[in-house]
This record gives sequence, structure tokens and C-alpha cells, in this order.
Amino acid sequence: MRGIGRVAWGGFVAVSLAGVLPPVRAQNVSPAAAPSPGRIAVIHARAYLTPGEDPVDDATILIEGGKVRASGAGVAVPAGFRVIDARRAIVTPGLMNSNSRMALTETEGEENTDSGVSSGPFGEAFDPAAALNANTTVIPIVRADGLTRAAVLPTGSAAPPFSGEALLLVLREGPDILDQPRAAVVARMGGMRVNSSGGSRAAQWLLLRDALDASAHIAKPAASVAAGFAGVTPENLAALKPVLDGKIPLVIEASRESDLRQAIALVDDYRVHVVLLGAEEGWRVAPLLASHHIAVVVNPYTDSPTSFDQIGAGLDNATILDKAGVQVSIEGAFVSVTFNAGMATREGAGLAVANGMPWNHALRAITSGAAETWGIADRYGTLQTGKDADLVIWDGDPLEPITNPVLVMVQGHEVSLDNRQRMLERRYAPNQVKSNIPAGYRP
Amino acid sequence: MPRADTLIEHATILDGAGHRLENSSLLLRDGKVAGIGSSLDAHPGVKVIDAGGRWVTPGLIDVHSHIGDFPTPFTLQDAKHSDVNEETDPDTAQVWALHSIRVQDPQWDRERAGGVTVLQILPGSSNLFGGRGVVVKNIPAVTVQQMEYPGAMPSLKMACGENPKETYGDRGKFPSSEMGNVAGYRQAWIDAEEYMHAWDAYEAKHDPALPPPHRDLKLETLAAVLRGQILVVMHCYRADEMAVVMDVAKEFHYQVTAFHHALEAYKIVDLLKANGVCVAVWPNWWGYKNEAYDGVPANAAYVDVEGGCVMLHSDAVVDGERFTADAAIAMGAGRRAGVNISPERAIQWLTLNPAKSLHLDDEIGSLEAGKHADVVIWSGNPFSVYTRADLVFLDGAIIYDRHDKSRQAVTDFELGQPVLASPVPEAQP
Repeated sequence: MRGIGRVAWGGFVAVSLAGVLPPVRAQNVSPAAAPSPGRIAVIHARAYLTPGEDPVDDATILIEGGKVRASGAGVAVPAGFRVIDARRAIVTPGLMNSNSRMALTETEGEENTDSGVSSGPFGEAFDPAAALNANTTVIPIVRADGLTRAAVLPTGSAAPPFSGEALLLVLREGPDILDQPRAAVVARMGGMRVNSSGGSRAAQWLLLRDALDASAHIAKPAASVAAGFAGVTPENLAALKPVLDGKIPLVIEASRESDLRQAIALVDDYRVHVVLLGAEEGWRVAPLLASHHIAVVVNPYTDSPTSFDQIGAGLDNATILDKAGVQVSIEGAFVSVTFNAGMATREGAGLAVANGMPWNHALRAITSGAAETWGIADRYGTLQTGKDADLVIWDGDPLEPITNPVLVMVQGHEVSLDNRQRMLERRYAPNQVKSNIPAGYRP
Repeated sequence: MPRADTLIEHATILDGAGHRLENSSLLLRDGKVAGIGSSLDAHPGVKVIDAGGRWVTPGLIDVHSHIGDFPTPFTLQDAKHSDVNEETDPDTAQVWALHSIRVQDPQWDRERAGGVTVLQILPGSSNLFGGRGVVVKNIPAVTVQQMEYPGAMPSLKMACGENPKETYGDRGKFPSSEMGNVAGYRQAWIDAEEYMHAWDAYEAKHDPALPPPHRDLKLETLAAVLRGQILVVMHCYRADEMAVVMDVAKEFHYQVTAFHHALEAYKIVDLLKANGVCVAVWPNWWGYKNEAYDGVPANAAYVDVEGGCVMLHSDAVVDGERFTADAAIAMGAGRRAGVNISPERAIQWLTLNPAKSLHLDDEIGSLEAGKHADVVIWSGNPFSVYTRADLVFLDGAIIYDRHDKSRQAVTDFELGQPVLASPVPEAQP
């Protein structure tokens, strides 16, 4: 019971809000019915129960056993439920970021960064799960921006174009943050990476196809292997099996239209499920991406030709893809890819709206859309019955950077919004710095 | 650029000087602000724009940019030999960012569409002394001389911390430590003092028969700092480093104009104030290196409320093209931490404060009569993520119009790129 989102078990305890809304209140239903742990009713919520659709005004969300037991307007609150009055504030599912290195780096130092390998046999089979650090300071920081889920993608391996296997995190408190290992195999293509594949992006695609062929036991001489490229090991080929079986997606980072068309051809030839990462020129092939069921993790911040691969980058990429029916989810930009992944997720969605995407679709991109892209829609992404109770109560429009969460819940557990940054802010608050107590003794 | 005298009516004006004026007008005449208020007369021939309640601010000023000297598209050649750092010696005070600038960098257009009218282009931070920075106006140009801000003071870019010590330490060269960094600054200032004294002595003698002292480009820049002719812009993250640098400045009698990045400014606001040093910060960057570990999003709000001088800077165009939405991150963090920053206050982080830091506040940074007509009309509250710059004026000329393609400059680089044309319809099978 800490921090801004604290709730008491008896009486009325106001959750402090930043001043724009009346405070969220927690209350008992009646003295006779003491609330049972894990039973929570969020009432009077302006709730986006199913992102993509209009909100339900004055919704009630009943939570039991970490799941949504019922939600909607007019849902009665049974006895024994702790009540949190959202007071008409916006309530959304917890947000999901679709590309970071969360819990695999602390300061990008060599000794605390485990998101990629530069030597050794691991390519497709590089599974970074064993390096996850649930005690990273990043998680409480991004969680305080409303993030409850994250797709963590490996950054590179010694067997390019493969980077390894994706992890899906659930950002709960405690050591167990891994929701799903081996959630996808990641390959990264493009001009800035050609030197690791001999100097041509054609080799990147040939190596990718060789690996898929070899994994499928299609006899085919792999010229690239003979030339000394690493990576064709039983472990790596086995890692591609679930991709070939359609159980997990093949994530392909690519920007240039020609590479996106290669990815589309891969779907035609191998019937694999592809998720594109970046796809800055995706607007050029939006209908094809939609017809091939290729989802895209977009970076809504990017509109500069930062390399020759993305001369066609534009701020309306997400909007055009969405309009064509492509399932869109969101990554951050630059240092915000990991360290400010929470803010970047919702601000990125806001930028997509600023450039034409309907607001409801932008919210979907960072909740249920991401859930579908990453194959976890059975448990996360909406606030409908049976889903994990990941939810956020906001003090304003969640896509506006000026807005803050007032309560974040992960799988039915209200999590602390406190973190190392907020402690530094308290230690050095304007009313503290005049103190004659040295900073190190201040809380 | 063609320009017309313009009256902007029915606007919510944040004037950059700390005021918010509702339903007000702004008159631009001969490239200057001619008036601001409620009862301005449109003289014959003046173009009238009904803002219809939209928000108006001064043009934004980006005091830390690498547009042009770290140009797009970034290439593998740039990865080997970038134009942003002369990485051959920890002291390259002799180089000028001006000489690296590629005017056909499309990033100029991106920040112009975000309302940025004036930028300071700096060398990078690999060196203790990175070289001279230059102030430019954000106009499409063919040569960099056409962009130079007339009469603006040059700056000297210096750097603390990990970048210089790693750049040279990794090569087994000096400096490889924080103490090496500081020794490097001090030795260079000692040399600069000697150089300055030699020239002072020579010029005091007024004897054309005497041979002048040797002219050294490095020491010439450093001596100009000691003479107060060049501003000092110092890349520093940590509070303890900034405190040491301010002592070095005292030792050699120069002024640090601003610490850039300054993630830990919130720890030493009184010390910064006592030394008259501004800080230029990002709203929420942190974590990406050891010296960035203590960054907090309330940094800007804290420095401001405690009476320090704070600006926002971009460094990367991804931030500079959405400066005001970025500022909202800092405002939201401040509000959460109990420090409310009003829009009329926050806009100063991007207008008057950077103008002061460039010593150009008598010309730009606020909408006051006589100042340059650098103005942005926004589609709404500039601190909303949904807001876009509708019209951007520089010296009274429209340099960007969101609704008129003919007023959206396109660099030579982007001209004729097939990928920027409408896609050719897919062939039907």
C-alpha cells in the first residue's frame, strides 16, 4: 500500500490526483461485508472496455482472481468487493509497448546489457530470457506511465540476419515478469546491416530463406553456409520450426519498400506469419500488407530519411496502414525505445492521432491490437470478462504527454507508481533542497 | 522570401515574455513585430489572418542541434567519418560546425514544420573542446552563408564526462578519466591565456615593425572565449561535473553560458543561479549511459520554479520537430511532483530563455514591438500532442504553411525520389 495509488481497506481514503479531476476514492461497500483480497470493483469509470470501440460511460469493472469477472454499465457490485470510484475518469486496459530491450539493459553498459550477442553459435535460437532482470529500475518507471505489457526483441546475433527470440513481459511486481518466452523469431534486414551479411541485402534474404528451407528439411545447398557464415546449427533450425508451423510470428525489421516486398513474398512462399518492425515505407504497400495479414510495429515519431532505406518515411505511415486494415502497434523512438517506453507508447499513439489515425484505433494499437500481434489476445488487451485485469485510471487523455496515471493494476494487483526517478524528485524537491539535512540522509 | 505585412486576429497569444493574451491581435510589419494587443489597426494593404482562437507563439529556438553537421541520410561512411566530430584530438577548438553543414539535410524542413525558426548548430561531444557552433535561421538555402544569423555570437562547444574520456581512453590516449578531462581543460586555458597576453602585448606596442605572434586557430578561439567574444556551451550530465566546471571557469575568468543536457541540474539549482549559468535539457531522456542514470522528468520544472534559467533542446530531430508536445512531458511531470508550470511559462523554455542564452533576446524570443516577426500559429494548444504548426513566419515571411504545399520546402535530396510519389497501382494477377 504505497504511493499515489494507495487504497485503504476501511473508510474513505482519497488517492491524490494532480488536480484536474476529483480524487479517485476507495471505499468499502458496507462494514458488514469485509472485502476479500483480490476482489475489486472499479466503478464510475469512463472505460474503454474494448479498445477500438467507444467507451462505456459509468462502467463498472469487477475483478476477481486477477481477471475481469464482469464489466459494463449497470453491473452490480456484489458484497465483499473493495470499491474504487474512478469518478468518471478515463479507464483503459494497461498499455503494451511492442519493441524494447526492457529488463535486458540498465544503462546500455556492456556489463548490464544482454539484448544481443556478437559471437557464438546462437542466431535464431538466441533466447535472452535467462538474462531478464526483473529488478531493473526501468520497469517501475514505464509502469508509472501506464505500461503493463512489453514485447522485448533481441537486437542482434552472430548469425545474421537473425537476432534471436522475442520475449513477452507482464510488468508485475516481483521476480516473475516473463509472460511468454520464444514468442517470435526476429530477423533484421537493411542497408545499415549489410556488412554482417557479406555486403548485400540480397544475402540477408538468401540466408533467411536458406534457414527456413533447412529447417523444413528441404534439401538445398546453402552456398552462404559454404562461404563460412555461421548459424546453421540444429538449435537454430529448431527455433524456426514454430515459425514454419505458424505458431509464432517471424518478426522482420525492415524499412525500404523493396525489403517489405521481400517480406510479402516470404509469406506467399512459406505461409509464415510475418510481423514487420519499422516498415517506414509501409504506406507504399499497405493493401498488400493487409491482404497478407502482416502486422506492423510502427514508429510514429519517424519522418526523416535517417538512412537511404527510409527515404519514404512519413508521419502518416501509421494512419495509412491502419486505414488499409493493417494491424498496427507501436514502438518508441531513439532513447525512448526502452528507457521511456511507457511515455513513448502513449505519446506515439497520440502522434499517430495528430497525423490522422482515429483516436480509438490508436488506443487499440497500444492495447488489444498489440495483444493480437503478439498472440496474447486470449488473456490481455481488453477489459472484457475473462481477461487479465490490467487497467489504468488516468487523470486525463492517456495519449496526451501531460496526463498521468493515477492507478495502475497488473493482473488484478494494484502496483506502486513510485520509482527511482520519483524518489530523486522527492529528495531534491524545491522544498527539500533548502534543507540543512544532506541529500544522502533525505528519503 | 516574399513577405507581406500581416495582422493576426482573434488569437490566444503566448508572447514568450511570460504573458498569455486571450482573443488578441499581432501586427507584423516590415519583418518586425509592430504591435500586440486588442485594438491594432490594419493599415491599407495589410494581410489579415483570422486565427479563430488558435494559439500564437514566437518562433521556437533550438539551442542544441546537429542538423546539417550530422545530416540525414546517415550512412555507413558517416559511421566511420562523421562530420559532427573531428575525432583526432581532444582539443579541436579550431574547427567550426559551420564548415560541416549540409544545407540539403531534410531535417531542416522537419523542424521548420514544427515551428523552429532559429537553431544553434554545434559540433559533437567527443572532444573536450569540440569547436565553434553557429546560429542559423531555418530558411531553405543553397549555401550555409545564406542561413547564418547576422551578428550572432559564435559559441565554443565543450564536453564533460564519458564521451571525451571514452573516445580517447579507448585509444590509449589522453584523457581517459574525469580528472584527465579537467586537466585537459585547464592546460588549454593556461595556453590560451599566454596566447592572449602575447597578442595583447603585441597590439599594445602599435609597432608595425614588430612581427606579430604566431597565429593559432585553436588558441584564437579559446582566447576569444576569455575575451568574452565567444559563448561557452558545455555538454555535461552530472551535477558534480557541472560544479567542477564552474570552478574551472572561475579560475580562468570565463563564463559558462549554458550546460547542455544537464540531467542533474535539479540537484544544484542554487549553484547554477549563483554562477549565472543556464541549462538546456530534454524533458525525459535518461538511462542510456551511466552518466544519464539520474535523469528525472521534473528536471525542467524544478529548475524553473526555483528561479533557474532553463531551456529545452533537441539534439535529435525526433524531439525538435515536436518540441511543444515534448515540453508537455516536463509539464506533466512537474504537475505530478507538485510544480505547476503554465503554458505562458513553459513556452519560455523554447523562446525567450534560449534567446537570452544566445544573447539575441533583444531581437528574438518574444512577441514584443520591434523584435523579429518570427511567429507560429498553432492548430490548438501547442502543448497538446494533437496540435500542429499551421503557419510559421520568419522575419515576417511565411516559411511553412501546413495547408499549402507551395510553402513547404523540399530539399534537393528529396526531389525526384520515386518513393515519395504516389504508389503505382499494383499489377493485377
